[in-house]
Amino acid sequence: MATRALLAVVSASPNRCFISPSRITILQSLTSSSSVHFHRHSRKIHRIARSYSSDSDSSALQPPDVSRLAQTARISLTPAEIEECETKIRRVIDWFGQLQQVDVNSVEPAIRAEMDGRNLREDAPETFENRDSIRASIPSFEEAYLKVPKILNKE
Amino acid sequence: MSTTLFRTFQPNQFSLLGTSLLRRRRSNNFSVRSCGSQTTTTHEAKQSSPTRVAPKNHKSNKLDEILRDYEAVIGIETHVQLSTLTKAFCSCSNNYGSYPNISICPVCMGLPGALPVLNSKVVEFGVRLGLALNCDLSLKSKFDRKQYFYPDLPKGYQISQFDIPIASGGYVDLDIPLEFGGGHRRFGITRVHMEEDAGKLLHSDTGDYSQVDLNRAGVPLLEIVSEPDMRSGIEAAEYACEMQRIARYLGVSNGNMQEGSLRCDVNISIRPIGQAEFGTKVEIKNLNAFSAISRAIDFEISRQALLYNQGKADEIVTETRLWEEGAQKTVTMRKKEGLADYRYFPEPDLPEVILTKEYVDSIRASLPELPEAKRRRYEAMGLGMQDVLFLANDVSVAEYFDAVIGKGAEVKLAANWIMSDIAAYLKNEKLSINDIKLTPHELAELIAAIKDGTISGKIGKEILFELLAKGGTVKGMIKAKDLVQITDPVEIEKMVIQVVSENPKQLEQYRSGKTKLQGYFAGQVMKMSKGKANPGLLNKILLEKLNAKD
Repeated sequence: MATRALLAVVSASPNRCFISPSRITILQSLTSSSSVHFHRHSRKIHRIARSYSSDSDSSALQPPDVSRLAQTARISLTPAEIEECETKIRRVIDWFGQLQQVDVNSVEPAIRAEMDGRNLREDAPETFENRDSIRASIPSFEEAYLKVPKILNKE
Repeated sequence: MSTTLFRTFQPNQFSLLGTSLLRRRRSNNFSVRSCGSQTTTTHEAKQSSPTRVAPKNHKSNKLDEILRDYEAVIGIETHVQLSTLTKAFCSCSNNYGSYPNISICPVCMGLPGALPVLNSKVVEFGVRLGLALNCDLSLKSKFDRKQYFYPDLPKGYQISQFDIPIASGGYVDLDIPLEFGGGHRRFGITRVHMEEDAGKLLHSDTGDYSQVDLNRAGVPLLEIVSEPDMRSGIEAAEYACEMQRIARYLGVSNGNMQEGSLRCDVNISIRPIGQAEFGTKVEIKNLNAFSAISRAIDFEISRQALLYNQGKADEIVTETRLWEEGAQKTVTMRKKEGLADYRYFPEPDLPEVILTKEYVDSIRASLPELPEAKRRRYEAMGLGMQDVLFLANDVSVAEYFDAVIGKGAEVKLAANWIMSDIAAYLKNEKLSINDIKLTPHELAELIAAIKDGTISGKIGKEILFELLAKGGTVKGMIKAKDLVQITDPVEIEKMVIQVVSENPKQLEQYRSGKTKLQGYFAGQVMKMSKGKANPGLLNKILLEKLNAKD
């Protein structure tokens, strides 16, 4: 659960985690509400900047907007839980923030932390044996379809 | 828009293309072109009551007026569903039209613990398409998670490529069909990337529920994003046609808009001519045919221009609109609160996609001749653009044509046979050119037999039908049915004399001025010769005999 939360936070923070030339497009994918919080919680965080970003003031690791995170992850939290989570998540981020101390100015950015790359599969069909139990475990499976509430708009 | 199609029937164009135009024009409506359905409807409309002409003319004039003041800027996002045997990240079958929720497994269902493994064919198809679109390939690219919640998205995210797509910075060259003005165009391609499809969501008409079929979840897609280079509905529709053509030529997809294996979303804005900044961009979805693309764009241009003219340009907002085929207009989808936030991050369960130079080179070497190269080659052979576009449209037709001329047949004649009689046959029998029994070799034989006078053109057409349906050889059929043309003047003269002597009454009528009766005599000689008399020779000798006596 904590890992998922961290992944969600990490993805919500701008620039730092992405190594890509298309900076602007990533920033545009964030809603405006998160930028408000960037400046509200100023902390003394190491400011070693790997400057790909066009805006220099967000060189610190941003604290999470937990209520927005919870909303986007469809997790409901009480205000008390939000406060509790905020502290915990901030600690995890700061812990990762130690990586900021490393001077990587002369290192080429990697696209991925590489596993043993090139894990490809042949294009040969295989039927999964136990499809019945998959279908049986679906709570609202009716007449060969998954029955769901009618939702017309994505998010 | 549809009125511009009427330009083809102007008199000057008739004279340009010659008398064979009429025959060919008919055949174009039998065309095997999927994009050509627009031509068919117009032709039918033309032949119906003239009152239909006026309103269409009116509409096109209005659009022309608008385009004097405003420029439309159009870009298209195309999703191509790949015809691989398995899905993108698991080994479930990739079938269209199966019973629902049959082709599933823990990976594509997004069940806990399941991990994706990339299908090597998807990379191959991505490289093929990227090369065909003249793109730069990213030798290293990655997958990202695009996160949102929707009932047809089992994992709660779609595995896609966000900032480092497999291909980018390309272009496509195409020709605008003659009926829309003709001309070459080059449109830029921003990027091509790999991603997976979502399942299918069916909304019930009654009730407050929907149904999900996950057979399609995880099916591989290639998304092609164009530069905003198109300026009209016609250009956009032809771009989409070319995407389909290329996908089919490459064999990466069957590109059926009806099946959903080719989907296009249009992004359109207009701006006053001369203005540098782009106007507000509107997205249009739910386009199910190439003609719909062009009509939707025309509608949207008119809608936006009207708002501009009324001083209400700020009512044009960035939104997604749906094209309603029935009402022939775009309507707002329910407005969303704020922009979508997909929280992209690199897919941790998948490694980098690495392409080696050798791999790319081997794929480049295996690419077939693409539509653009074919069109230029056919043009260089001396074929007119009408023929070029027809023959190069369908890769099977082009292959057939290439095979026929490969056997030595004359280019123009081969083109005519394929575009008229054979195309008509295909349309009537609802077949593809791969289904006919007439082999390219035999068509070449037929053409040669007519050219060297062994059989007459008329007889050629007659045996064509049998050759198409049942196959066989031209030589064999000529022999079996005794079809060799009679070209011996002595023999023909004998028949002419006989016919003339058997018809004294008509002869007298002819001599007294009814020269049209020549046709009657000719018909009788043809009947006597079982259609084998050479028509030219026959008429020459007949005329002599009819006018000479006495």
